[in-house]
Amino acid sequence: MKIFIMPPNSLILYDLVERFGHQPLSVMGTLRERVSGREMESPPLNVTPADVTKGLKYAGIEVPSGIRGRMAVWGPMIDEAEAAIIMHDTPFTFGCVGCHRTNLLLMHLIRKKKIPTIEVNYPEDEEEGKIMVSKIKTFLEGLK
Amino acid sequence: MIMIAPTSELTPDQLARFIHSLGYEISIKETCYGANIEGDKDLIAKAVPKIRGLDPNRLFIKVRAYPIGDERRCRAHHGSRPGFNQLEKEWMDLPFIEAGLCAVESGEECPEKPKRKRLSVEKLIQIAEEENI
Repeated sequence: MKIFIMPPNSLILYDLVERFGHQPLSVMGTLRERVSGREMESPPLNVTPADVTKGLKYAGIEVPSGIRGRMAVWGPMIDEAEAAIIMHDTPFTFGCVGCHRTNLLLMHLIRKKKIPTIEVNYPEDEEEGKIMVSKIKTFLEGLK
Repeated sequence: MIMIAPTSELTPDQLARFIHSLGYEISIKETCYGANIEGDKDLIAKAVPKIRGLDPNRLFIKVRAYPIGDERRCRAHHGSRPGFNQLEKEWMDLPFIEAGLCAVESGEECPEKPKRKRLSVEKLIQIAEEENI
């Protein structure tokens, strides 16, 4: 099954989903096609003006273009997703996952889609790591 | 992208040599955190389980958006690495994930801990008064 991961560029979640036999939908995979398939207008930025228009499907015109640009990349991934894993307490708020409003909108869209979803927290010690991994494993095995 | 957990005794050099020894026609780049591999999808799909088998619970693998040595990202070309901070944070958390993977492998029960309660005002006042004594 195709599993949407949140944060969408998480190494931990990508690895766990693949390890337990599912296909992770990650922002890296989507961006790979973009950065290698065509010339980007302004290299390290990955969002084009056309993407901002495309993002209108997921966020209104009054929403900042940064959110719409991000949604142009992440929105189709949610459309494709059959299940989702959300990891809370992300201690980093910069880079492509640094927009809190986009993250809130993503979570809203996932919940609205009513696909099987599990919400866990970033582990802070080994005990929490064990709980997190066992919850994710049970969830992913239940999807088969 | 293959990342070695801080608890692993593997070095990026050993990892890169192992991947070379598999004999697949894929590009391999040794990095400070592990290695990057690139090539035909089928070959990568064959190589990944073998690479993971080297140290199953301490090697973590994900897809990377930019190709190996891409000038927009490669440090050798002064490329920017906006995603590095997240990788660094997750790298530090990998030992916790390793503990989790070992626990599920051994069939250990991992009951959820009760949520931490917030400190009540009465309790806070009591602590503050104790401190003053």
